[in-house]
Amino acid sequence: MSHKLPRRVRLVLYGVLLVLLVPFVFPTWWMVTSSLKPASEIFAFPPSLWPENPGFGAYERVFDLQPFAQQYWNSMYIAVVVTIGTLAVSSMAGYAFARIRFRGQNALFLVVLTGLLIPSEVTIVPLFQMFNDWGMTDTHWPLVLVPVLGAPSVLATFIMRQFFITLPAELEEAARMDGLGRFAIYWRIALPLARPALAAVGIFTFLHSWNLYLEPIVYLSTPEKFTLPQALTQFTDAYGGPMWDVQLAAASLTALPVLAVFVFAQRQFVEGLAHTGLK
Amino acid sequence: MATLERARAKAAPPHPRGDGSRRPFWTARRRDQLAGYLFIAPQLLGSVLFVLIPLALVFWYSFHEWNVLAGSFRGVGADNYRALADDPKLPGVLRATAFFSVGLVVLNLGLALALAVLLNQKLRGSIVFRTLFFSPVVVSLVAWTIVWGFLLQKNGGINAGLDLVGVDGPNWLRGETSSMISVIVVQVFKNVGLNMVLFLAALQGVPRELYEAATVDGAGPWRRFLRITVPLISPTILLTSIITVVGSLQVFAQIAVLTQGGPGNSTTVLVYYLYQQAFEFHHFGYGATLSVLLFLIVLVLTVVQWQMRKKWVFHES
Amino acid sequence: MSSPARPSTRSTRSSRGTLTRGKPVALAAAGLLALTACGGSDGGSGSDDGPVTLRMTIWTGNEEHLKLLNGIAADYREQHPEVQEITFDTLPVESYTTALTTQIAGGKAPDLAWIFENSAPDFVTSGALAEIEDDPDVLPSAKKLWQHEDKLYAYPFSTSPFGVFVNTDMLKEAGRPAPAELIEQGRWTWEEVAQTGAAVRDETGEAGMVIRDFDYKLWDNLAAVWGGWGAAPWSEDGRTCTFDAPEMTEAMTFLHDAVFVDEALPAPGTTANFFAGEAAMTVTQISRASLLDDSFGWDFVPLPEGPAGSYDVIGQAGLGVLADGDNVEEAVDFLAFMTNEKNSAALGRYFPQARSSQLDAGTLAKSNPQLKPAQLEEVVIGGIENGVVKPTHTNQAELYDAVRAALDPLWQPDADVAKTLQDVCSAIQPQLEK
Repeated sequence: MSHKLPRRVRLVLYGVLLVLLVPFVFPTWWMVTSSLKPASEIFAFPPSLWPENPGFGAYERVFDLQPFAQQYWNSMYIAVVVTIGTLAVSSMAGYAFARIRFRGQNALFLVVLTGLLIPSEVTIVPLFQMFNDWGMTDTHWPLVLVPVLGAPSVLATFIMRQFFITLPAELEEAARMDGLGRFAIYWRIALPLARPALAAVGIFTFLHSWNLYLEPIVYLSTPEKFTLPQALTQFTDAYGGPMWDVQLAAASLTALPVLAVFVFAQRQFVEGLAHTGLK
Repeated sequence: MATLERARAKAAPPHPRGDGSRRPFWTARRRDQLAGYLFIAPQLLGSVLFVLIPLALVFWYSFHEWNVLAGSFRGVGADNYRALADDPKLPGVLRATAFFSVGLVVLNLGLALALAVLLNQKLRGSIVFRTLFFSPVVVSLVAWTIVWGFLLQKNGGINAGLDLVGVDGPNWLRGETSSMISVIVVQVFKNVGLNMVLFLAALQGVPRELYEAATVDGAGPWRRFLRITVPLISPTILLTSIITVVGSLQVFAQIAVLTQGGPGNSTTVLVYYLYQQAFEFHHFGYGATLSVLLFLIVLVLTVVQWQMRKKWVFHES
Repeated sequence: MSSPARPSTRSTRSSRGTLTRGKPVALAAAGLLALTACGGSDGGSGSDDGPVTLRMTIWTGNEEHLKLLNGIAADYREQHPEVQEITFDTLPVESYTTALTTQIAGGKAPDLAWIFENSAPDFVTSGALAEIEDDPDVLPSAKKLWQHEDKLYAYPFSTSPFGVFVNTDMLKEAGRPAPAELIEQGRWTWEEVAQTGAAVRDETGEAGMVIRDFDYKLWDNLAAVWGGWGAAPWSEDGRTCTFDAPEMTEAMTFLHDAVFVDEALPAPGTTANFFAGEAAMTVTQISRASLLDDSFGWDFVPLPEGPAGSYDVIGQAGLGVLADGDNVEEAVDFLAFMTNEKNSAALGRYFPQARSSQLDAGTLAKSNPQLKPAQLEEVVIGGIENGVVKPTHTNQAELYDAVRAALDPLWQPDADVAKTLQDVCSAIQPQLEK
């Protein structure tokens, strides 16, 4: 474990990584610093690395112009509900497809997999008709139900199945000897072992819900119900043009907490994944 | 449903191996079958409701001419499919789609794996690097594309950088090939972090002893990578490649912002084209027909990848 | 088009009924849904018996605009107690048409909607809009785009003329005469613009002239240039392509040379923002004046003359009533109220109104504090009275994209202008004839 790379190799590695970082970091840097610039400076060419007179005015206006805290809460709670719901639905389905033998298993798995194959632009109209029919437009239901049960959760099920397939059969047999039923095996044996896979699915799902754009725009119409990506588009000036400083401030506000969570969670996430392994 | 299942688990006799004389209807096998169905029930119901029915409707629309504005909707038989065969734009669209997807998948997986391998070395500060490479994933797509729109200008940041090393950069977004490359690269930088993290996790699961043994046997780094790393992380490669291929066929926001399908029609990929037909040109029926085509393409690709797993992937039986 | 026989149908129409109206498609959809045994909750908004609610989709989220609109709505509700609620749904500009189309297709059409200029013909001729009251105060030239077979289908709620903003400081630096002088001498022409642009480029390194929003993609903005040559993309009846006509070829040759020979306009793939002081002149709509601060001296002048003399171009947006909405009659009535003399004057603060009663420099100055009365007189009043709207055509979006793609080869230094324009025509002529 304690391989130390030779000094020269390490320096080269750092050099390569630093160069590679530029295209990854610059846009983010620009977004955050530009939110501190006055509107006229944002599109100065070439872009400036640091604002001449940094100010937080745009951040104040974010909250003045929109019920931004409410919208933040909407995005947050929807993403959390979707994540938990998806974890439940996909871990059960993934477990069943991987570990239980039942008739029509493969055919049903293929049926479910179809969801993986469809871009949301394709089915947005029929889905909208459906939810309108059920009186669910301008509610958060479509933003929860479709991701948890529909196409987006299929990827999660797929990941879970791939994980559960690698579990050694002996574990389950031992549990069966002890008289555990299927649900108990799933709940007490399989699920705790699946923590890393659950973490991967959780992050994917959370980000997907957090960034959902087309669906909220189509379904929601009351500002108090808006989600963040949708709210970002609402900061416009008197002629319908975007208020860039405010939009970028709002965009920074939506990105930074997620990034912070990643910073804290990544150790567990990456190393946890490695341990038992979504290999 | 979960509670029900739990109740059943509790009610089950603690030691079923006892008296085997009676044969109740609910044999262990049957119970297990039922459990299987119950476990997949929510997912299956959701798939029927939110995937299959909408898809069936789209399929049905594809046999109609539907102008949303005029409210006209009439059956036209297979006309839309005939139009598909005769559409002069379609071959170019399919070519662009293939170029885009292949480029994106190769670049994305290659870069993700390379970054993961780099970051898997024992380096101080690799967590910082990891975070920074991941950061574009959480940045708003709008901000991301605006900045890149700037950087890719003729007199933009990229060309300024190239100038430093004595290269005269092209007018990225105005050339047919360079605009396609630009769109791919912008998309790769945005999302490669996700695949990188998955690869990193997989790499950390590869036992060090294997490398040590191989080193003792005289295998060089490249050989170790091909003989040990790749086979051991092959399930992750399969997973990420499926996600990326499917995702590459569904990307359209960046294209809409950066190139609007141009110059010419060089970056008009299938999703963008079907979006244009359905939502901008108001040819909903034809848009649905293109959706069916897209669906079939993705289906075939996924089945092929799935079949290949038997050959390539180490863990699957 | 469905007939708005309101009171009797409203009570009998279930939410599913709303869905199916006029579209057999939804019948099947509903049938399929019924199979899933989940449909049926009666949640259609506005279609139930009782008080009416009106919904209008707009593309501004601006606080001031919403305040103004909600104020008008509140006044209306006071006089019309049967209208319980009027809501304004902001859809983002870039997804506006998608979201609106999805809502219409999905059976939840708004009662009223803002309509982009370039989707006007599609909306107006398709039967998607209900006829509205024709106000004689609105100038005929401004209504033309929104009429079909002598009936008016949308109110032009914003009519904004194109003009040229000039950075006078930068012209001084480049040693070029100010446009105001040239206008006095009768020499404010595109030729002069090209020379000035080239001089600015040489002397200051900044961009000369920017056709704002064009960016070598949104070609309809070029109408502000080729108007000077008397060129148009297609014939008056819309059935013949005229991109290859001599006057268009001349106009485009001028433009091509100005870009690639004189470098009076920034080349494709380079940005220059006039309002950030990166260009000497820009062609744009007057409403952009709000973007100016006092960091440089500026002027606002009419479009330069071309070989064909002087001309005006306007940009518009309309407000229409969806024929498919649940409360067409109330919506038409509300639209009339919203655009009556008093309210349109209020709207005029943000959206230039093409009404003869409001077309005087005094009224306009109130809503355009940055501009001097003389500037307003020259550009705005003349522009709104005589302006030609940017080119539009039925099946606009598809045509637009086809032209965009076919024009792309023109924006290369060695392009063959005449041949490219012929190619544009062979690309779009079949669509024009449809």
